[in-house]
Amino acid sequence: MKVLDESSTGVQTGAHLALGDLSLPVSGTAGVLLVFWKER
Amino acid sequence: MFDRFRSSGLEVVCVGAFETAESCEAWRQRFGLGCPVVPDEDGTLFRRLTNGWVPCNILVAPDGTVLFAENEFDETGYVAAIAALYERAAPSPLDRQADQPAVERHVPSRAAARIVVLGGGTGGLVTARELRRRLGREHHVVLIDRSPVHLFAPSLLWLMVGRREPRQIQRPLTRLAAHGIEFHQGDVSEIDLDARVVRTESAAFAFDYLVVSLGAELAPRDVPGFDEMALNLYDLEGSSRIRAALQSFRGGRIGVLIPSMPFKCPAAPYEAAFLIEAHCREAGVREKTEIHLFTPEHQPMPVAGSTVGDAVVEVLRGRGIQYHPLFTFESLRPERREVVSSDGSATQIDLLLGVPPHRAPDVLRASGLLGVSGWIHVDARTLRTAHEGVFAVGDVTSIRLPNGKTLPKAGVFAHAEAKIVVQQIVDEIQGRPSQKSFDGRGSCWIELGDGKAGFAGGQFYAEPEPHVRMFRPGRMWHWGKVAFEQWWLRRWC
Repeated sequence: MKVLDESSTGVQTGAHLALGDLSLPVSGTAGVLLVFWKER
Repeated sequence: MFDRFRSSGLEVVCVGAFETAESCEAWRQRFGLGCPVVPDEDGTLFRRLTNGWVPCNILVAPDGTVLFAENEFDETGYVAAIAALYERAAPSPLDRQADQPAVERHVPSRAAARIVVLGGGTGGLVTARELRRRLGREHHVVLIDRSPVHLFAPSLLWLMVGRREPRQIQRPLTRLAAHGIEFHQGDVSEIDLDARVVRTESAAFAFDYLVVSLGAELAPRDVPGFDEMALNLYDLEGSSRIRAALQSFRGGRIGVLIPSMPFKCPAAPYEAAFLIEAHCREAGVREKTEIHLFTPEHQPMPVAGSTVGDAVVEVLRGRGIQYHPLFTFESLRPERREVVSSDGSATQIDLLLGVPPHRAPDVLRASGLLGVSGWIHVDARTLRTAHEGVFAVGDVTSIRLPNGKTLPKAGVFAHAEAKIVVQQIVDEIQGRPSQKSFDGRGSCWIELGDGKAGFAGGQFYAEPEPHVRMFRPGRMWHWGKVAFEQWWLRRWC
């Protein structure tokens, strides 16, 4: 693991996320797994 | 994950933080991924959704509820969480939020409870001793540990530089019998939460209450070459070998390597570097020695905040210790004694002190107690798991802080958490609702060598960020740490 931005807090478990606002190629109708990565 | 749950309708999207479309496509092809890999070039999504660390995995239910947002990958936990999404299983431990207030519990008092404590480290020892002190002898307190001794691990650093002997920092757990605690030495082979039984290779222990304080297992073999090239900074044997190596060290390059996160006692690698630097001066080899510290962290003790981090960096610089933050460790090359970074650069190290990878004990994987992070998720205030009468304290837990990071793994928290668990259990047995809760306060010393130490402490549950204060280093803090060691070994062992 490594940190890219120590000021970020991110979403918490239980929070609501409007997938439609994220401009991602998903429908979100059956669950979405977002995997954030960074090349070394 | 994508292939496994595709037929259920799960969509997986890989988001490249600060990556371009070209690098995303290259990454997708390299791993042969069938799911979309999209760039987040300016990091907008990354900053909005994650806690600033990569990797970060976020599972979102069809109604938009975030089911987990985790950095560490535990395949078993993830599979269970995603499967639950489609099976509409009974409420999962994953739905529990770390900061939910304690639920008032009305439980009939028990005539004679059987409380099993797993682990004889800081959290387990405090739990067992305090339960015994607070409860009548009709209640059974049992402690199980694979080791016959309690090791006061903070003093391994002093042992490393020849200021302690092993016998001075260990106490036999058989002494617990004199305090009315039943001690069993053995490896826990099964935790059966349905039958409410813990099994070792030779016995079975039924429980009304279970307190899991098994700590973090050290996994040096997860780093190929660790056993050949590095000395384990985190166990007795490794610290003893470091001491021997330092005694014969005549100059060269010494490295302290943190290959991965998380690890317990956030200050320890830095303390090791400081003590070794002081040792080299005393031994007259400092001018012939380079000292390096490699870490994936962006600062020392990142959860404690920039005040503490900056202060430690200042000391590192003042001592001429070469500090390599945000170091992406790739591998060790024992044949050349090299530490290799992901960018291909290699640093030759003559004496390497390694922080081994940490993970939850294997016995927990089949127990159903581990969350998606690979650690036990507990209520941040009561330390309860989702299982009735089952608590967890210390390094084996993962507690999410308001700032999205996790509570550091440190003995001070195990100690404080244990006391809260004891109060919860005692209140429940005695038939009253428990008001006591863990408040996230903690402190620690930072040993600097030359008979001096720093001290930092504060409130880790503060919002929006932990509020931690760093005190000016001095001899007083060092002697305070010595006094604490002596008190601990007398009070609890």
